[in-house]
Amino acid sequence: MTTANKYVPFPSRIEKVIRHTQIEYTFRMHFDQAEEKVKPGQFFEISMPKYGEAPISVSGIGKDSIDFTIRRVGVVTNEIFEHYEGQSLLIRGPYGNGFDFNDYNGSELIVVAGGTGVSPVRGVIDYYAHHPEKVDGITAIVGFKSPDDMLFRDDLAYWKEHIDFRMTVDSAKGREGYREGFVTAVVPELTPKDLANTKAIVVGPPPMMRFTIAGLIKLGIPEENIWLSQERKMCCGLGKCGHCKIGNTYVCLDGPVFPYLKSKTMVD
Amino acid sequence: MDMNTKELKKNAFRVTKVRGVTSSRVRVPGGLLKAEYLGKIQKIAETYGNGTVNLTARQGFEIPGIPFEKIPEVNQALQEIIDGTGVNQTGKERGEGYPASGTRNVSACVGNRVCPYACYDTTALAQKIEKVIFPNDLHVKVVLTGCPNDCQKVRMGDIGIMGMTEPQFDPDRCVSCGACIKACRSKSVDALTSVRFRPERDSYKCIGCGECINACPDLAWTRSQKKYFRVTLLGRTGKKNPRMGVDFIKWADEDSIIQIIKNTYEYTRHYINPDSPGGKEHIGYIVDRTGTEEFLRWALKDVHLPDIAEVYTPLNWNGVEYAHNKYFGNQRYHENGTIVTDFSK
Amino acid sequence: MGYIADTSQFEKLFSYWKEEYEIWAPRRFQGGGRFSDTDAVRYARVDSPSEIEFEEKSAYSWKETVFPPSETLFYFSQNHVEEAEAPAKKRLVFLRSCDLAAVRRMDQIYLKNGDPDYYYARKRDGLAFVLIGCPHTCENGFCVSMGTNASDNYDMSVDVTDGAYYIDCPQEDWSRKLEELGAAPAEHKPSRVTENKVSVRIPDNLTYEVGKSTMWNQYDKRCINCGRCNFVCPTCTCFTMQDMYYDADGKVGERRRVQASCMVDGYTDVAGGASYRKKNGQRMRFKTLHKVLDFRERFGYQMCVGCGRCDDICPEYISFSHIINHLEEGMKEAQADDNSK
Repeated sequence: MTTANKYVPFPSRIEKVIRHTQIEYTFRMHFDQAEEKVKPGQFFEISMPKYGEAPISVSGIGKDSIDFTIRRVGVVTNEIFEHYEGQSLLIRGPYGNGFDFNDYNGSELIVVAGGTGVSPVRGVIDYYAHHPEKVDGITAIVGFKSPDDMLFRDDLAYWKEHIDFRMTVDSAKGREGYREGFVTAVVPELTPKDLANTKAIVVGPPPMMRFTIAGLIKLGIPEENIWLSQERKMCCGLGKCGHCKIGNTYVCLDGPVFPYLKSKTMVD
Repeated sequence: MDMNTKELKKNAFRVTKVRGVTSSRVRVPGGLLKAEYLGKIQKIAETYGNGTVNLTARQGFEIPGIPFEKIPEVNQALQEIIDGTGVNQTGKERGEGYPASGTRNVSACVGNRVCPYACYDTTALAQKIEKVIFPNDLHVKVVLTGCPNDCQKVRMGDIGIMGMTEPQFDPDRCVSCGACIKACRSKSVDALTSVRFRPERDSYKCIGCGECINACPDLAWTRSQKKYFRVTLLGRTGKKNPRMGVDFIKWADEDSIIQIIKNTYEYTRHYINPDSPGGKEHIGYIVDRTGTEEFLRWALKDVHLPDIAEVYTPLNWNGVEYAHNKYFGNQRYHENGTIVTDFSK
Repeated sequence: MGYIADTSQFEKLFSYWKEEYEIWAPRRFQGGGRFSDTDAVRYARVDSPSEIEFEEKSAYSWKETVFPPSETLFYFSQNHVEEAEAPAKKRLVFLRSCDLAAVRRMDQIYLKNGDPDYYYARKRDGLAFVLIGCPHTCENGFCVSMGTNASDNYDMSVDVTDGAYYIDCPQEDWSRKLEELGAAPAEHKPSRVTENKVSVRIPDNLTYEVGKSTMWNQYDKRCINCGRCNFVCPTCTCFTMQDMYYDADGKVGERRRVQASCMVDGYTDVAGGASYRKKNGQRMRFKTLHKVLDFRERFGYQMCVGCGRCDDICPEYISFSHIINHLEEGMKEAQADDNSK
């Protein structure tokens, strides 16, 4: 029996480092035929020097590139990520199911994301922002802690121009032009045309997802029309390490994107 | 009534406050005896004593309320207990009771026959030491405890023996759970730090307690095959200068300890004040007189310590100096907390 | 074919094996136990039959033969990865029926849940099994309840009585070798346990709802989340990755995986700082339901093999079989709560 070694990562060149905030950066990395091979919502295991391997969602997909949005934590807090440009990182993937556009094509789509939860859905919002004809309208609600914590500013600007885009900040820190509050406060204001044909994607911290989904259901969106993405510790991405198991489900193999109907039966 | 009190005491009977009444002191080396001997002690107490038994501080029994005239019968009755507790009777005929009482009962905590923390069989070593040092009239207290928790309070004895183990680490069995580091920090001396996912042991700090070993879920830490000991010296209670024994050797082995104990007896015999009351003098006072260097010269003769052993130097004792009151008796604490001197005295 | 071999014949068979295999078996480590003057019995390489502990159940399971506590996967620099060397020899493992049943569980996760695991597979390929018969039950095992008390998928079985090795040997090459060595032919089936001191019943109606029962709360305090139960378990497969750097920049080093425990802190921690099961009682519920519910839902048979090692080793005397036997009551309580709402 010959078994491929799925644990061995491959070097991938960092083509560009984009700084979003004091601690959050996007690395644009080379990946051949990314558009054909990678879906939004999937993740890679990225080897960060001094930190180790971590599962990171794909936050953008180019022709031959993939984006990873990374937060400096722990020992790499003082690392100057800009210096990484031109260097390589060891990566492996893609893993997980990702979002299936077939689930959303033709329907009215609501995407609600909080903080780094924007990363996995950025590709979905971006796709429909550029292909508005594929859906019967798209609304994106995005929340950040403060104006300083905003990610993907260029994208946010584009979305504001082209789709129904709403943003909240927990605190505007005294600055004008921001809506203070949580994304959950925006949900009741939505007026979908046809509830049965309205679909929703929710990604963010667990309490945010719980309250947002409750709001969407209250709005009348059928439970079976809601999807979400789960973040769990994952050391392999291959159904072995066990950290991401919830009940009989392995998030790395069966997710991380789950229909809400499935997700609500999963008890950590 | 005529009674040679010197002989009485040497025979392990006490001069009590009641004239003509004594109590019998039963040795239990290592503090462990077969339960059947409790029945025999009970019988002596009920037949010859007042029906009560005292549990002594050094793990013996004291049977009070025995009239002097019953001493021969009590000694006859003690014979089975003397045999059963493995006490040497050199110098006495069978049925004549204990041959000495100066060297106190060798006491020990329950040790590794029972306790998960203990690093050796305290009972066995106590009994072995008893065989080496008893009978002897010199007033020596040897105390054994299984681990640095020191439940037996070895620092109150002349020779304190505290069990240690040298933790052995197998990195291939370590899963970096952190239990050893946590245990060492919270229960011991914080000698472990996490270095690249593995615990690193500061051997200078480590006291060999074995908490890391007990905490390790995967046997990455195990005990050294060789057993080690911390030896503490010359702790004492008493009316002059009670003090805690100080560290003498860290990572000593059993053979060295036995040699050191033998040497200490030699030294004491040589230097004891011949006029000491009752022929008893705490070794510590003798050392105060001869100087520590002279004591060490005797104590370490023919001792071959293991390579790992560390001998502490210098040895410094302190403790309560009751005797100072004689010279500074005119000082007292004022109720406002300051020291005041009363020059009228 | 069955045989009775004497010590010298068995030693010769052992030497014959050693040409092809590295042999792993329960081995007694004198003074190697956790407490002073106690031994440890655990799996290790053995060089002669005399090193095998045939009597006492190994405190740690067979799994270390293929899934060691810590294993280097590869060495890396910024642009280069070099796999750690594979073991030079195939492995032969002496194990009891519970552990042989556990091999199937381990295979399930490592070979059949998603893509096969390279590092597991390379040790698993060519692994040969010698079953140690169990003439009597161990203290805490409940193999009869779990249906793991009998196994027939071994290459050879052996019962050792008074220096005689009673053998059943379906493996034909070994049979020929035994005949060549002059072992006396005699039918023999490995002894097995037919009754344990402990039995368990997993309720048929068990669901995740049992998580709502108060039965787990006692473990918030009783359990010290040390993970011993997981590390000794022959079916626990979890691991955590570690990068051990050789340089200050963190670009050159080796990647290891170490056994992980769902009871130990950090198991569910994610980069953002969230942690999914903080209470020890909830960790206990998670572990229990993996062993007797969700594995079965996913793969069709129970994970727990009833070896009882988790009971043997728990310093807080938490009994896993006791927990299993309380699930029925737990379900009743959880469902009564539901109905009252």
